[in-house]
Amino acid sequence: MTREEFLAEIDQLVDLAPGTLKGPEELDSLEEWNSTAMIGLIALADTNNRVRLSPRQIAACSTVTDLLKLAGVEA
Amino acid sequence: MQAGVAALEYYLPEKVLSTGDLTAEFPDWNAEKIDRKTGIRERRIAAPDECSSDLAAAAARKLFASGACRPEDIDYLLLCTETPDHFVPTTACIVQDRLGIPRTAGALDFNLGSSGYIYGFGLAQGLISTGQASRVLLLTADVYSRFVHPRDRSVRTIFGDAGSATLLTAEEAAEPLIGPFVYGTDGRGAANLTVPAGGMRLPHSAETAIDVEDEGGNVRSLDNLYMNGGEIFLFTLDVVPEIIDRLLKKAGVDISQIDSFVFHQANQTMLDHLRKRVGIPPEKFQVSLAHCGNTVSSTIPIALKDAVAAGRIPQGGLVMLVGFGAGYSWGATLMRWRGV
Repeated sequence: MTREEFLAEIDQLVDLAPGTLKGPEELDSLEEWNSTAMIGLIALADTNNRVRLSPRQIAACSTVTDLLKLAGVEA
Repeated sequence: MQAGVAALEYYLPEKVLSTGDLTAEFPDWNAEKIDRKTGIRERRIAAPDECSSDLAAAAARKLFASGACRPEDIDYLLLCTETPDHFVPTTACIVQDRLGIPRTAGALDFNLGSSGYIYGFGLAQGLISTGQASRVLLLTADVYSRFVHPRDRSVRTIFGDAGSATLLTAEEAAEPLIGPFVYGTDGRGAANLTVPAGGMRLPHSAETAIDVEDEGGNVRSLDNLYMNGGEIFLFTLDVVPEIIDRLLKKAGVDISQIDSFVFHQANQTMLDHLRKRVGIPPEKFQVSLAHCGNTVSSTIPIALKDAVAAGRIPQGGLVMLVGFGAGYSWGATLMRWRGV
């Protein structure tokens, strides 16, 4: 899954139009970034990248780019 | 002797808590999103004076009314609940008396959550195959709504109350009608799905009743149900594919030979992901929680009954049952559906 595809999936998780998120956005600034979105992210990384993300790791992320790095989408 | 399922019924309390009711109460909760993510449009909530014994007995009465058997035919009663009527005595004893099950019958409660139905099958199989019982009434019942804080969206949108009744009888059969069984337990996950206060470790007190708001805006006290949804999801990703693989190997069957899959109905998001992860075709995968929510140990019998009623489980079909939840505790088995 490409960076853009992964970003579009995160857009969907937080109820934004595809193409909205670019990476630098602060997670705290996203209204729909919550435990439900977190579960969706765990599923996304598991399905597409076979990466197992823990809630603790996700909670330590500040930005969308941090999530991409954690999921192995961005170095 | 082999144990086989001879009858199955469930009971839902009358009061409906719809997603619309929740969003009317909390306008900042998004109804469309709740419905889409949870797959739940309605939850049933037990009346204030309605307890687990009432839900279990109501389900059992439906089963007796169906003509499957009479109360006096039952020689063992198993009741799975995490919300017993009392600490003492066992709720199964109260239900035995209320249903008119003979005094010569055995009866016990076992405390398990969403894995409970599988463990109940395992216990019933053991009782029947060793000749200790010939007609086991397996009941599940919970009133989780009693534990749920009204302002905790993480659990209030998901859980509902229900009871189920399954009759397992001794059968002369060349091959097992249920089984084999595989189990799993990991108490390291105990704190991720729990009601911290109210037992002997931490009795109810003024301190345990203090409401605290978490970072997601959900409110609960130590007297309420707490669920760490992320950790629970991670746990299911770890154990569900593994236990299915273990069950298939133990049974010596290929996944393509399974006609129907009935998992614990946790929520839509989790079910969708597990189905795809394991590689189960949607037409073989039962989803039945929109009308009642996650009813803990009753979800599997409810989904099974609904699938049968809708003609989605073929006569003689091989059905896989998978339960997972609080504890952590999990289990899986196979059953041959004979059309009850």
